[in-house]
Amino acid sequence: MTMASANGWRRHLPLINAFIRYGVLIGVGFLMLYPLFWMIGGAFKNNHEIFASPGFIPSHPTMDGFTKGWKTSTEYTFATYLLNTMKIVIPKVILTVISSVIVAYGFARFAIPGRKLLFALLMATVLLPKSVLLIPQYLMFREFGWLDTYLPLYIPQAFAVEGFFVFLIIQFMRSLPVDMEEAAVMDGCNSFQVLTLIVCPVILPAIISVALFQFMWSMNDFLQPLIYLSSVEKYPVALALKMSIDVTEATSWNEILAMSVIALAPSLILFFVAQKYFVEGVTSGAVKG
Amino acid sequence: MNTSSVILDQVTKSFNGHDVIKGVSLEVKKGELVVFVGPSGCGKSTLLRLIAGLETPTSGKIEIAGENVTYAHPSKRGVAMVFQSYALYPHMTVEDNIGFALRIKGMPRAEIKLKVRAVAETLQLGHLLHRLPKALSGGQRQRVAIGRAMVREPDVFLFDEPLSNLDASLRGQMRVEIAGLHARLGATSVYVTHDQVEAMTLADKIVVLNGGRIEQAGPPMELYRRPANLFVATFIGSPGMNILPVKLAGAERDRVTVTTAQGPITLPRVNARVVAGAEASLGLRPESLSLTTAGKGQLSGYVNLIERLGGETFAYVALKGFDAPPVIVRLDGEAELRIHDEVHLAIDGQRTHLFSADGLALGHAPDVKAAS
Amino acid sequence: MSGASIYASRRAGSLYIAPFAIGFLLFTAFPFVASFILSLTDARLQDQLGDAHFIGWHNYAGMWGDATFRKSLGVTFFYVFVTVPLKLAFALLIAVVLNFKLRGIGLFRTAFYLPSILGGSVAIAVVWRFVFASDGLVNQFLHGAGFGGINWLGEPSTAMFSIILLRLWQFGSAMVVFLAGLKAIPEDLYEAADLDGASRLRQFWMITLPLLTPVLFFNFIMQIVQAFQEFNGPYIITGGGPMKSTYLLPLMIYEEAFKYFNLGYSSALSWVLFVIIALFTALAFWSQRFWVFYAQERDNKGGH
Repeated sequence: MTMASANGWRRHLPLINAFIRYGVLIGVGFLMLYPLFWMIGGAFKNNHEIFASPGFIPSHPTMDGFTKGWKTSTEYTFATYLLNTMKIVIPKVILTVISSVIVAYGFARFAIPGRKLLFALLMATVLLPKSVLLIPQYLMFREFGWLDTYLPLYIPQAFAVEGFFVFLIIQFMRSLPVDMEEAAVMDGCNSFQVLTLIVCPVILPAIISVALFQFMWSMNDFLQPLIYLSSVEKYPVALALKMSIDVTEATSWNEILAMSVIALAPSLILFFVAQKYFVEGVTSGAVKG
Repeated sequence: MNTSSVILDQVTKSFNGHDVIKGVSLEVKKGELVVFVGPSGCGKSTLLRLIAGLETPTSGKIEIAGENVTYAHPSKRGVAMVFQSYALYPHMTVEDNIGFALRIKGMPRAEIKLKVRAVAETLQLGHLLHRLPKALSGGQRQRVAIGRAMVREPDVFLFDEPLSNLDASLRGQMRVEIAGLHARLGATSVYVTHDQVEAMTLADKIVVLNGGRIEQAGPPMELYRRPANLFVATFIGSPGMNILPVKLAGAERDRVTVTTAQGPITLPRVNARVVAGAEASLGLRPESLSLTTAGKGQLSGYVNLIERLGGETFAYVALKGFDAPPVIVRLDGEAELRIHDEVHLAIDGQRTHLFSADGLALGHAPDVKAAS
Repeated sequence: MSGASIYASRRAGSLYIAPFAIGFLLFTAFPFVASFILSLTDARLQDQLGDAHFIGWHNYAGMWGDATFRKSLGVTFFYVFVTVPLKLAFALLIAVVLNFKLRGIGLFRTAFYLPSILGGSVAIAVVWRFVFASDGLVNQFLHGAGFGGINWLGEPSTAMFSIILLRLWQFGSAMVVFLAGLKAIPEDLYEAADLDGASRLRQFWMITLPLLTPVLFFNFIMQIVQAFQEFNGPYIITGGGPMKSTYLLPLMIYEEAFKYFNLGYSSALSWVLFVIIALFTALAFWSQRFWVFYAQERDNKGGH
């Protein structure tokens, strides 16, 4: 057994391994993030430079893109659109969290008639292609007179229509021992008090995950505002951005990039601050479920 | 053909600058079952993993069956391991689990089947070959883990606390089975445990480890009768040895006198190097103390607590004047005794132990045929 | 399911899930049935519903003869069959590379995950259009390297490529799930395999992959359902063109309803999409028992 020659080499195996891994990760990572770097850099360039070179560091950084882009080529500034977005997203998130927690509590703890069937229906809504519901929902909201308002965008959230979030919270609740809740009942709480005073604080990480995900999804939502909103003054950022690339031919791309950066800024900041919750939210659904 | 299966020569291991193994040298003879035992963190599992090749030593040499395997790949050392968690492949049947290594080696299917079946028969797993691990009980899974090691016919078997995941009654059963298996196969084995009962009952040789160093190595009875230091003395044996603080008075050729809170005691002792006036520890195992009448015993005290186990009784006696916890005395199951009784204890001189202030044994009792 | 008697009240439980029950009926069940009924009519968006006529299977029958539909169906299938395997494979690969005790793992995980958070947004789609424009980022690189530029968004053959790339760029969410699955595999299985003499590659094939199948299954289903419903990217970057080469079904459904006002036809299209997705999902679920291994521990310390 000629082990002598193999001895020294094998010691360095972990090092070679790490080297290759880092190489791959850095390479792929750089390629992946380049469009983002370029976008941010381009927002600070003047229009000509964007098309001049693929480098992302501006040679003469300027705030031109931002100041002009903010005014937009419409009668409203970007501030209006940002505000509109918040008017949609914030109610959506709040209603989602409340309804998801309440419904999840029902599923996770109570002996409800037809529980299995209802749970199956909940799971079905996760996989259901939403495009098949689009038109009838539109017609329904038209009947209500809710077209060109924000109501169709967030009212449904009050009814826990996003099965994925309910599922997330159910899983979290199931992993909690019932003891604390039993103790609270003996201390005189009714079930709602148990939910708000005892359970909610403990499942806070899950609630935060739900809130963050819904925030992100709502920020990115395009189709819903597209079909329900017709007045430009009510447009959220998503529609305003689309409009900006439709409208002009000789587009000032640096302005568009600047506005794109602003559009993504809330999501970016939130992501960096609360990464942990994003990751745990996705994985707890997958690995435990 | 050498008679040693495993030789460790000045092996050290550091993790991030922290020394876990501080220079260990030992020999495992062919056919021996050697047990590494010690408290948590003593390095016994690390030592096993070094032998297995799952870690490489920072310095030192490891030889298995005459070959230098210090940096060899685990699969090329002639070792097989039974993991604490069994590490059974959950998606493979018992048959596939046991035969996995043979399949990797490229053995023909028919031959694998024969060997696997033979091993399964020996371990009474024959009727479970097509089951998945999740459908097996703890004891059955453990036997599959053993079978997986056996089928490879290694030079050395390695066991990493194999019984610690089982409940108490099953543990006793499996201990007997492992002992029986070793007797039948005569395979060289290194066995790690924190349970000194397993160590005492299974080992041909025990290696007591503490803080990365060997405290003492030898046959179980030698460690029991002649512990080399306080650590081994108190680690081996259950209930543990009673330790009393004493002062050395003087020594003659075959005896030593110590002064205690209850007066002087003379013990038969050979080869003891005594410095008069020095602090020392007197070690008395529960079975070396017995009840006697006033005036005939060397120690007296009051009964604190009585534990009756049916076949034997342990009495906790607070000795008068001693600044020490109560001594445990082993008595017959029928012993008539009550709490707060005053008792007098006689010491069996042949079964005493004396340790210097550094914890090292001072000489030894004269009679014993030293187990070797 | 708790055994506590405090939760035995069925009435209270029903109250808690009432929002879901109502919401399901109102926003899911009812529209679901309604869209099927609509698909059997010639309803127009600008008219009152009452003006619509029942035309039976006419919408569905007409589909196959509709060249646009055939094209749309084709590109949709192409899109799904290309992006789903590629995205999963890449996500798994990077997860395996990342599954190591390296310093700065969190940093890389963030870097790869970020695109999938932002990727569905209009902003990114706008940037993507820019990146692949004739004078955009990619062509600038090609020029710099000495090649000629490619008319990415103008040529039918390459437009789809840019859309596909956008989806692949967002592999982060799948990767994160794979990572969690990888970490759930006990280390000592690999050690035992080391002792048994299996090479790294063999270990990946015979231990890692089989034990990852539940996670793989989850990711597979999620990716298929999402891929079939892709809208933002194609709509904003290429508008479905050039020559309908990126005209995915969701785009066609949208345009038929809100641009051409054919509610009936659009509903029929959406039902066809639904049936396709349902079939794939059902197939995947049925196939589980052949390739997905679920490890459920029997909590067992006693017994012989």
